[in-house]
Amino acid sequence: MADKTEKAYRALESQTHLQQVMFRYMLEGQHASEEGKLAWVTSGFPVEIPLAMGVTPSYPEQYGAVVGSQKVGPDLCGYAEELGYSQELCSYARSSIGSTHRPDNSPMEGLPTPQALLACNNICGTVLRWYDAISEMTDAPVFLLDTPPIDAEQAPHHIEYVQRGIERLVEFISTTFDTSMELEHLRSVAKNSTTAIDLWTKSLQACKNKPSPLNCADRFLTMAPVVALRGSDYIIEFYQTLYDEVKDRVEQGIGAIRDEKIRLLWDNIPPWFQIFRFFNGLAKRGVVFPADTYTHAWQGSIEGTDLYRNVAELYSNVYLNKGLDAKVEKMCQLIRDYDLDGFIMFSVRSCKRYSLGQLVSKELVTEETGVPGVIIEGDMVDSRAFNDAQIQTRVDALLEMFA
Amino acid sequence: MSETPSYTVGIDVGSTTTKGVVLSTDGMIITKRIRATGSSASDAAQDVFQIMTQESGLPLLDTITISTGYGRRQVDFAEKFLTEITCHCVGIHHLNPSIRLVIDIGGQDSKVIRVNEHGKPSDFELNDKCSAGTGRFLEVMAGVLGVTIDMLGSIALESNNPSTISSTCTVFAESEVVGHIGSGESASDIAAGIHQSMASKVGTLARRVGLVSPVALTGGVALNQAFQHHLAADIGSDLWIPEHPQFTGALGAAVIAQSKL
Repeated sequence: MADKTEKAYRALESQTHLQQVMFRYMLEGQHASEEGKLAWVTSGFPVEIPLAMGVTPSYPEQYGAVVGSQKVGPDLCGYAEELGYSQELCSYARSSIGSTHRPDNSPMEGLPTPQALLACNNICGTVLRWYDAISEMTDAPVFLLDTPPIDAEQAPHHIEYVQRGIERLVEFISTTFDTSMELEHLRSVAKNSTTAIDLWTKSLQACKNKPSPLNCADRFLTMAPVVALRGSDYIIEFYQTLYDEVKDRVEQGIGAIRDEKIRLLWDNIPPWFQIFRFFNGLAKRGVVFPADTYTHAWQGSIEGTDLYRNVAELYSNVYLNKGLDAKVEKMCQLIRDYDLDGFIMFSVRSCKRYSLGQLVSKELVTEETGVPGVIIEGDMVDSRAFNDAQIQTRVDALLEMFA
Repeated sequence: MSETPSYTVGIDVGSTTTKGVVLSTDGMIITKRIRATGSSASDAAQDVFQIMTQESGLPLLDTITISTGYGRRQVDFAEKFLTEITCHCVGIHHLNPSIRLVIDIGGQDSKVIRVNEHGKPSDFELNDKCSAGTGRFLEVMAGVLGVTIDMLGSIALESNNPSTISSTCTVFAESEVVGHIGSGESASDIAAGIHQSMASKVGTLARRVGLVSPVALTGGVALNQAFQHHLAADIGSDLWIPEHPQFTGALGAAVIAQSKL
């Protein structure tokens, strides 16, 4: 029986370790920028390539999450809007452009200045124009790795096309940073990636247990190293610590929340500006989120004899680069595997690629699994597009369906 | 030990009006009250509750009250608060158990709810980011035409040739109406166009949830015959309208309260 005096949400002890890892990431980024070895990359970029060539990555999307968490989204987005960018533009892009324009008024004085901008459109098409805008402001050149969307199976000519892109990327980095690629080095970076992702996946899968050892906010915070530092050796230790804690929770029957009653799936990026308030508020009512479509996106490993081909396949087949059928199938699979009672889809005003098709998906997922779902609307960074009362009503109505 | 009360209370604090219902355990409405919500949801709820206490002569504080609507959490004397989605569903099921789809047009939102055979919601959609398709839309348009909200429906019924209002946004539709006035179209055609445009927006929301007959229309706008006409035409289905459509949510809250007695 859960102790009612205990908090509804149990914080992870590994969070201290996480802060150290992310602090190191920040320092390494600054150092690399001073050394002329820093590239900004998109979250779905095959970061193993620049890393293997001695180039350090920084992630503007992860910076957007920081901006959101620090509740300064409207300010930074506002700086971009002052320059003429539309409020309809992605709030990660606006935060990034805003902080580059006004670093003095931005968290951590913005991201360190890049020497190159590496965009991969496997997560959205906005990234190219966004990096073009940053390029105009910083003079850093842009490289686009084009990964056309996949509807069903990836055709051989499609893989070949992306593979040629990877080869061009290697040439671009070689020229821009005066470096070269050692395939053995790539193999070792890829091995670090795989080890970290394997440990991460094990922690995610442990949430099939009841009670679930992790809630949504736990996963969104602890995914930061696997997004921003994939390929680095020092994140492996962190994911081992996290997995040990998760295993420990499972063995002792300790859940992420005090009193688990309803298990839901979360779809899309979270509202960073109230990530704890939102999920902990629901935790108090016995609602846990053992799975979500977002943190499950970092999977797979680079291996085999043809590394570039493998990179091309892996990074083309990410969740957001696939058709609606694949998304619906993924949601249904998570609902079944994690034994979930329903789902919440966050329609993020900024993220058209993620949110497009949610109305249809909701219907199909309910049809397929028999569990109800609800769509709530808002934004991940720009709290001006988030209406608490309206969201509350929709979520409450979903929960009342389980009563 | 006092006896179990033979009545319950439901309070629906909406964005525009606050409604209250006292319901007897044999399912009859003992008294009901509606007033503008105004600037304080808790004052409006308190006021409705007090008037119903006086009118019914019953010690309402001794029974269970459930609140619903956007201001539900401001009703401090309520035992429990529930969403208007659940309450509308239960309210309509109490009045007419055959209904399978409820379309509720509130002051600031419109909702479409699929009702299962047990009177519970099985799916729903809300239009709440935009005022087109809500009571507010009609209020704004009545203002532009210089007629009262009650007259807007009646003059619309006189039209045989509704004006085209293509904008789905209240602000743009307002400019469009001004344009129609400028080009000499009659107030009745414009009013009919306004209702048709709103019905089309609500019809789309209903189709998104899935049209299943019989369909009920609730909320204050349900009293507007022009809207009834255009919505029925848009969704191709007859509409069942309760005698007091604004009270459906409060009634549902009072029905649910009976299970707590």
